[in-house]
Amino acid sequence: MVLEAKGLAKHYGDFVALKGLDLRIASGDVFCLLGANGAGKTTTIQLFLGFIQPTRGSATIMGKDVAKEGTETRRYVAYIPENVMLYPNLTGIENLEFFTTLAGKNVADADLLGFLESAGLAREAAFRRVGTYSKGMRQKVGIAMAMAKGAVALLLDEPTSGLDPKASNEFSRLLLTLRDQGVAVLMATHDIFRSKEVGTRVGIMKHGELVATLDTGEWSHADLENIYLQHMHD
Amino acid sequence: MNDSANNKVSAIAAIIHKEWREVVRDGRFRFASVATVLLLLLAMTFGWQQAERIHHEREAAGDVARKHWDHQGEKNPHMATHYGMYVFKPTGSLSYLDPGVEPYLGVSVKIEGHRQNLPTHAAASDSTAIHQFGGLTVATGLQWLVPLLIIGLAFGSWTSERERGTLRQLASSGLALPVLAVGKTGGLLAVLAALLIPTAALGGGVVSALGHFGAVDVGRIVAFMAAYGVYFLVFVAVTLAISATASASRVALVLALGFWVTTAVVAPRVLADVVGAIKPLPTAYELAHAVAESLDKGLPGQTPKEERVEEFSKELLEQHGFLGAEMMMPEALLQGLELQAEARFENEVFDYHFGALNADIGAQEVWAQWLSFFSPTLAVRSLSMAFAGTDHAHHRDFFAHAEQYRRELVQLMDNDFATNAGADGWDYVAGPELWAKAPRFEYEPPGLFWVLGHQWKSVLALMCWLVGAGVTSWVFARRMRVI
Repeated sequence: MVLEAKGLAKHYGDFVALKGLDLRIASGDVFCLLGANGAGKTTTIQLFLGFIQPTRGSATIMGKDVAKEGTETRRYVAYIPENVMLYPNLTGIENLEFFTTLAGKNVADADLLGFLESAGLAREAAFRRVGTYSKGMRQKVGIAMAMAKGAVALLLDEPTSGLDPKASNEFSRLLLTLRDQGVAVLMATHDIFRSKEVGTRVGIMKHGELVATLDTGEWSHADLENIYLQHMHD
Repeated sequence: MNDSANNKVSAIAAIIHKEWREVVRDGRFRFASVATVLLLLLAMTFGWQQAERIHHEREAAGDVARKHWDHQGEKNPHMATHYGMYVFKPTGSLSYLDPGVEPYLGVSVKIEGHRQNLPTHAAASDSTAIHQFGGLTVATGLQWLVPLLIIGLAFGSWTSERERGTLRQLASSGLALPVLAVGKTGGLLAVLAALLIPTAALGGGVVSALGHFGAVDVGRIVAFMAAYGVYFLVFVAVTLAISATASASRVALVLALGFWVTTAVVAPRVLADVVGAIKPLPTAYELAHAVAESLDKGLPGQTPKEERVEEFSKELLEQHGFLGAEMMMPEALLQGLELQAEARFENEVFDYHFGALNADIGAQEVWAQWLSFFSPTLAVRSLSMAFAGTDHAHHRDFFAHAEQYRRELVQLMDNDFATNAGADGWDYVAGPELWAKAPRFEYEPPGLFWVLGHQWKSVLALMCWLVGAGVTSWVFARRMRVI
């Protein structure tokens, strides 16, 4: 199992952000977490990244406990937040080279350029400073970083939020490519349509709990939307 | 090296490269860096011109004083000691980097019989009113401006990463945050080195082209640069530690500037007052009065003057084989020995009072060095002056050499009087041949190990600051919150 949560909980004083989450995501599996703001989606992602410590339970990546071996487990994953933030004074390829080297990969410039182009970034843009990039272009650099790192798992926190439909569609295409390559994906999102398109499973979160898990192949887009809305209104 | 170590080295190199690129592409830092470098170059050039002018002035004054001595005409040798001569402290070859306390202390000593004079003619007393507020020197630039530049470069090292979201990207790369801290430290040092090493080389080249005075002491130059290197590293580590723990960049900036104001501006002044309160020095009037009273009556609580001079006279008579047979002695020899006995008594008085004064000043320095554990600026200031040869210890060393020279000169003259006056007694006169026998006053500052022996507490304080700041920066980076 690539990503696994067992009884994972996070409390902030009396506030329960996550309540005993159990989750298993295998290689090539794309698990989409749906839910309203404050449902616990981002908390789940941050627990898998080791940015916050769990109150109870465990999050493991490739069998290793994130809370105990955070630095080691982060080597397996790539993280793409809602806004991929890069160094504005560096070019796209310089940012990619920097983060790839930090991840312990020594990748030639030509290959870096190849990753950027595969992620949909124009060759000319790769040599421009990131300060001039749109959000969609920065997300593409984020995808290129995941590819160059050779991550076995992707942790995505509303990655298509704010992207125009074309950019969002391109992002989905790239995600499918990575899924086909065997990458395990945990994606927090509000986008039911995108979840159905790229996800293998969808989990609906409410008040820090996973209230439903659905195989996307078994449900139509309309069904998913109905189930989601029904949970939101309960 | 295994893969993990290789990866860490590659990552640190990548961070250094990234930090470098970010800084050199940022117009604000380019401006601040160029301004700092220009100020340092100006301080170095003006400092050198000033030091060179003072050097030539003192050399010329020393030549004139010696000419007056050599051409004083014929007179009794003991009277020649009353005529006396001025000796001047040579300008240290590194004083243009840090004039230290030299402008506030005397640079010339009147050498004469029966009196040990304090150095006079402090350069500050000749300077304009505006200069007495303190001018820009290389040392002040290095102690104040460069730390400010470091703060400007480093205060947002972690906070701005957190604020713009890149810290999450960095943390998710799988690299431990303390390794990132090492890389950031390396990046900042690379930027500083790229600014300061060419500045030092350029300044050194300009000074060499203008000519130099005194022997160039490479050891002292290296030690001077090393002390400042450690000092800058302390500020880098402290600023990074602050940035790692501050909630926002503006908070980090305020805290880092607070550290600078406290340790670089306030602490040296407050601690100087503390040292003065712990170990007060007598005023010039009190010292002169105490010396005069001892010369008149003898040292406090000890044998009165007449008896003490008598004891010295007996020792000298015994040495010359005339003890108990004074009536058989030539009158002039007896008078000569009595003068020497009196000189020995006077030396004893001078040793007592100036020894106590020097011990008090030395104790102040020791306190100042211990107090530098509260301020890295105080530690580097002590070391800077010491390596430049412009601190109190060097001044005391010069003063001791001048006094030794005075005693030898007085003895040379009184010996000649005792040996050659014969029946002429006080009518005996000597001429240029005797004056020429007096050696020229030469003063060479002590070596580097002497300096280190005097300054080990400052070295220890600076190293403690380095270790403390480094460990704090490391620990804060480990505990830093990513979001």
